[in-house]
Amino acid sequence: MNPIINNDDTVQLQELTQNAYAKKIPLRIFGSDTKSFYGNKIQGHPLCLVNHVGIVDYEPAELVLTARAGTKLREIEALLHSAGQMLAFEPPYFGEEATWGGTVACGFSGPRRPYAGALRDSILGVRMINGKGEQLRFGGKVIKNVAGYDASRLMAGALGTLGILLDISVKVIPRPQLEMTLVLEQTPEEAITYMNTLAGGPVPLSAAAYVDGQVLIRLSGTQAAVQAAAVKISGQEHEPSSSFWQQLKEHSHPFFSTETPLWRLSLLPGSPMLKIPGDWMLDWGGAQRWLKTNEPANLIRDAVQAAGGHATLFRQGELKDQQMKDGENTPVFHPLSKPLASVHEKLKTAFDPEYILNRNQLYT
Amino acid sequence: MQTSIDKLIKLTQPGQEADAILRKCVHCGFCNATCPTYQLLGDELDGPRGRIYLIKQALEGNAVTRKTQTHLDRCLNCLACETTCPSGVEYHRLLDIGRNWVDQHVQRSAYDNVRRKLLRGILPYKRRFHFLLSLGQMMSFILPDAVKRAIPARQIRSPWPDKQHQRKMLVLDGCVQPSLAPNINTATARVLAALGISLVKADKAGCCGAVSWHLSAPEEARVFMRQNIDAWWPFIEAGIEAIVMTASGCGSVVKEYGAYLADDKNYAQKARRVSELTKDISEILVNEDLSFFNNTIKNIGKPQRVAFHAPCTLQHGQKITGVVETILQQAGYELTHVPDAHLCCGSAGTYSILQKDLSQQLLINKLKSLENDHPDVIVTMNIGCLNHLASGANTKVLHVVELLEKGLRQGKSLN
Amino acid sequence: MSENRNTLSKQFLQFLPDNAVLTHNEDLHPYECDGLSAYRQVPLVVVIPETIEHIVRIVNICRKTNTPIVCRGAGTSVSGGALPLENGVLLSLAKFNRILNIDPVNRLACVQPGVRNLAISQATQSYGLYYAPDPSSQIACSIGGNVAENAGGVHCLKYGLTVHNILQLKIVTIEGELLTLGGSGLDGPGYDLLALLTGSEGMLGIIVEIVVKLLPVPECASVVLAAFDEIEHAGNAVTEIIASGIIPAGLEMMDRHATRAAEEYVHAGYPDNAAAILLCELDGIKEEVSAQISQVKDILLKHRAVQTRIAKDEVERQLLWAGRKGAFPAVVRLAPDYYCMDGTIPRRKLAFVLNRISELSEEYQLAIANVFHAGDGNLHPLILYDANKPGELHRSEELGGKILELCLEVGGTITGEHGVGVEKLNQMCVQFDTLELSQFHAIKHAFDPDELLNPGKAVPSLHRCAELGAMHVHEGKLPFPDIERF
Ligand SMILES: Cc1cc2nc3c(=O)[nH]c(=O)nc-3n(C[C@H](O)[C@H](O)[C@H](O)COP(=O)(O)OP(=O)(O)OC[C@H]3O[C@@H](n4cnc5c(N)ncnc54)[C@H](O)[C@@H]3O)c2cc1C
Ligand code: SF4
Ligand code: SF4
Repeated sequence: MNPIINNDDTVQLQELTQNAYAKKIPLRIFGSDTKSFYGNKIQGHPLCLVNHVGIVDYEPAELVLTARAGTKLREIEALLHSAGQMLAFEPPYFGEEATWGGTVACGFSGPRRPYAGALRDSILGVRMINGKGEQLRFGGKVIKNVAGYDASRLMAGALGTLGILLDISVKVIPRPQLEMTLVLEQTPEEAITYMNTLAGGPVPLSAAAYVDGQVLIRLSGTQAAVQAAAVKISGQEHEPSSSFWQQLKEHSHPFFSTETPLWRLSLLPGSPMLKIPGDWMLDWGGAQRWLKTNEPANLIRDAVQAAGGHATLFRQGELKDQQMKDGENTPVFHPLSKPLASVHEKLKTAFDPEYILNRNQLYT
Repeated sequence: MQTSIDKLIKLTQPGQEADAILRKCVHCGFCNATCPTYQLLGDELDGPRGRIYLIKQALEGNAVTRKTQTHLDRCLNCLACETTCPSGVEYHRLLDIGRNWVDQHVQRSAYDNVRRKLLRGILPYKRRFHFLLSLGQMMSFILPDAVKRAIPARQIRSPWPDKQHQRKMLVLDGCVQPSLAPNINTATARVLAALGISLVKADKAGCCGAVSWHLSAPEEARVFMRQNIDAWWPFIEAGIEAIVMTASGCGSVVKEYGAYLADDKNYAQKARRVSELTKDISEILVNEDLSFFNNTIKNIGKPQRVAFHAPCTLQHGQKITGVVETILQQAGYELTHVPDAHLCCGSAGTYSILQKDLSQQLLINKLKSLENDHPDVIVTMNIGCLNHLASGANTKVLHVVELLEKGLRQGKSLN
Repeated sequence: MSENRNTLSKQFLQFLPDNAVLTHNEDLHPYECDGLSAYRQVPLVVVIPETIEHIVRIVNICRKTNTPIVCRGAGTSVSGGALPLENGVLLSLAKFNRILNIDPVNRLACVQPGVRNLAISQATQSYGLYYAPDPSSQIACSIGGNVAENAGGVHCLKYGLTVHNILQLKIVTIEGELLTLGGSGLDGPGYDLLALLTGSEGMLGIIVEIVVKLLPVPECASVVLAAFDEIEHAGNAVTEIIASGIIPAGLEMMDRHATRAAEEYVHAGYPDNAAAILLCELDGIKEEVSAQISQVKDILLKHRAVQTRIAKDEVERQLLWAGRKGAFPAVVRLAPDYYCMDGTIPRRKLAFVLNRISELSEEYQLAIANVFHAGDGNLHPLILYDANKPGELHRSEELGGKILELCLEVGGTITGEHGVGVEKLNQMCVQFDTLELSQFHAIKHAFDPDELLNPGKAVPSLHRCAELGAMHVHEGKLPFPDIERF
């Protein structure tokens, strides 16, 4: 049942980290480097997780899976699939070889996110090494656990800056019997209203996106539920259902094939379209919006902030070369207010006093 | 909850009872959620759980002052807390014991004393109250607005039906109700007559004792109770079917006569019998065939939309819920949606006089929720609530039997 | 100390009215405990502020005078989280009880922390929306308290805990600064502080505003009640329902004691002679629910349910849940006091753990009623005792400790939703080792370097654990594996 190799690399990883801590050597933590385009560029002694692999625990009836950080995401998903289950957050890979640890550290969630929860919502516990080389375990392998601060969910999206993830336990869910995608021609404004109206009603929605004048709605659930809902809402069936979502999730959709900088905007799902020139694609029912534009970062960030959201420079594209020339750097992540930045700094210090873990990758 | 009641207090019967009640409270705080005063004031001390704690402290022998008394005074005795409590804590019994204890140990201000004595000296007495009310009604042109609003307009009495039926019930003629709204009992008599029941009055009966009881004068209250029992006894022996309460406030007390007089050798048994026979008018009506009313309503055309205010003494005190709603629906009325129906209107017996500010806030909130769905009429089951609501409502407020009787009259004129 | 009290209250009274600053013993006593009344401590002062500005000023005064602050929502915590400190200010959020904004388009509501959990769903009902987490105490507990404890409920198997259902928090830090955590969308920039704050038991900041996520009210909800002659059968049925790919909205179990008490409270017609009953709720689209309900019924019968009953209407459904939700306080119909445990275990260990619990119950001569979130493996053994009998509380605590350690042995946790508070500090020494506890303290210091926010709760001092000499259990590996246990 379990063809995945098993290797626990904890001892070596811990030694390496302790040594780095003692000598204050910055580390660059990575798995298969499929997502190295993301975040601020950093330097550091390489610390590779790909040899720390294997499924530690998986009992389908418990709805819980624990795997080592270097395990391939595709192996995990295949294992779940064979048991009729899946990860709720539909993680993007951005590369065949994507690892479990990198997935969690980046904290990306796919199109199902608004309806089934984010990656961090699935996390139950982690085993990790902090910046002092100490091995720590937070959370657990049960669905509910409030003992101690929730340090494990804090690791999701922290880009390895708070700890080297060793094992991560997540809650998994049953795979729906049926999925169906419906397409409808709409303007972006219509689409925003439409996607949010659907989400406010009893519809087994599992994804809603807008691109190129079309809104796409995915329904998931029991056969009975999906068919009943499909009758009630309009739209042309899009087949196969999975193809569009796969392209959206992996950024292999033509929208993303460009050298223009790509921004990720996190907004209220019902926010009207922002008046920033560029090409738009809406995911998460409007809560996650992709923008291709050459507009300056300030303009984008001000507009997004005014709408209550935040903007990430997801892929730098040409901007990178431009900046290299100009010698200045656009921060990847949305700047924090002063008191919030101070909390971030103190928290980073609490986990990694010498700033050896992925130094500057998140905030500098 | 753990208790350590003062040794001496624990020797007394109330001390033991209080201990038993306190032991049942698990301090879960569910009751605070439905307590009107906690919602308004947001202080643990103004919610049931805090009041229970204050009483516990007092009975454990700690010094009590005006502070504890104030928080107990602010209690409406609405008993929403009792309905909510999953542990079955009998808060009203504990409150009685606690209030008595505190009032014995804490001096009230002279002003407070006078007010409370006055209320006890007037409200329970039909004639005294009637006199003052008439005076107020006559002199209303010189009274300030606020007082004027609280004084209901004079009602014309409609005649009591004189046809005798086989089935007979006794009605409590109360203390303030005959003066404030003489029509309620008459309407009851006419509605019951239409159902083939004669309603009779016992002239010597008077106040049920509620006023004195809730103002910490239990002995005075017991005098009223015995008086009523004496007045009713001949009727009971003659075989009346029930003692009908048209004011749920009185009903909730008369139903407790058995408990309140349990230690009175001469009256205990009779009191129990009285309590057994006591029925709220809704408990009578719900078992009768109301199709006649329904047909009338149908003939008139569009059903009237009615907002029902359930008095606390009905829903929490006597735990009668959903019954009046059934009656109204059977009689062909349409009920409007009333949010927070469990909350007190702020009338609460003498509360509207003694705790004016809180009472007014509750009234405003209550009227908002009653009028929220634009009813044609508001109905209730207790004279205190009725008057209190009418003092601020933009909608007509009636007793449920008054509404039914109106339907009856309309039906007759249609025929 | 009374001097301290006077100087503090004088400062508070500069901006708070008289009735919002309590300093007399008579007034303070009723605040001496939360829902866990076995632990009591009269606070130095109680303050009942009404605005964020008030809170900031209170915090500034406390920081300058080095006075600890304990927040109190509705005081329903059953772990002593809101237990006051002798030298501390108890800050009540009861007056923060307004719903500030309901946004049906974006399906969220912005509320003050003192708003009662249930009040949110009531207020949003007319939009066809509700707030999903429903702790049994939802009628009374505050949303601020829910966030502080990461409260769960009977419906969190499908809809998640508090942390999964909030979008944004405003907190006042001990520095007196107002921070916004999370975003207006589905995430915020930087570390996920929203998650970190959730369940932090008032130790990292004072929650002053919350944006909660609202869900559409399911088109249809249906509940099946099943009675079993043996708890084990019920446990197996639970496992199979989950394994079959159904995620019920709620899946709850009550044993005989609990059922009897709940029945006396609500008269829902629970079978009174069953060893265990299960309540399984399914919700969603009509077609889906009716298909699943018959599937569930088959599974229940297969596992020898002696009786099954489907609630015929909404009234009956609500009644069946009301009994379950009132089950804790209702057990005082069986004994004057109860001590509620909250361990979570892997579901497959259910039968084993329940058997062990009943053995422990005999050993300690204390009856135990079991009410729990079976779907999540979150147990609530209620140890029944009499606080007025000397020694019984102590025995209950010991028994409780044993039960929690049992949960750890099978790979679970000491608290699924009620929080550590003061009550499970010792078991924290068992669940976490020194390094982990130190990391918790470091997190605390990042927010609150002088330990003024609810100090002494949730995370034990290393000193305490050392004194206790507690054995730390990792991953269900026992300190003495050679002892026969299974
Ligand atoms: C009968 C009963 C049943 C229960 N059932 C459940 C259940 O099913 N699921 C569940 O999860 N819990 C349950 N509980 C426990 C309790 O209701 C929850 O823990 C609840 O979240 C506490 O909310 P509260 O407002 O009463 O908080 P409190 O008890 O007042 O406080 C709890 C903690 O939160 C902190 N706090 C409160 N407000 C704030 C704030 N604004 N900012 C910072 N910190 C704050 C306090 O300092 C304290 O540490 C139950 C309790 C009872 C009595
Ligand atoms: S009787 Fe009414 S006012 Fe008094 S404590 Fe109970 S709920 Fe509150
Ligand atoms: S609801 Fe009942 S048990 Fe709970 S605190 Fe109130 S009176 Fe006590």
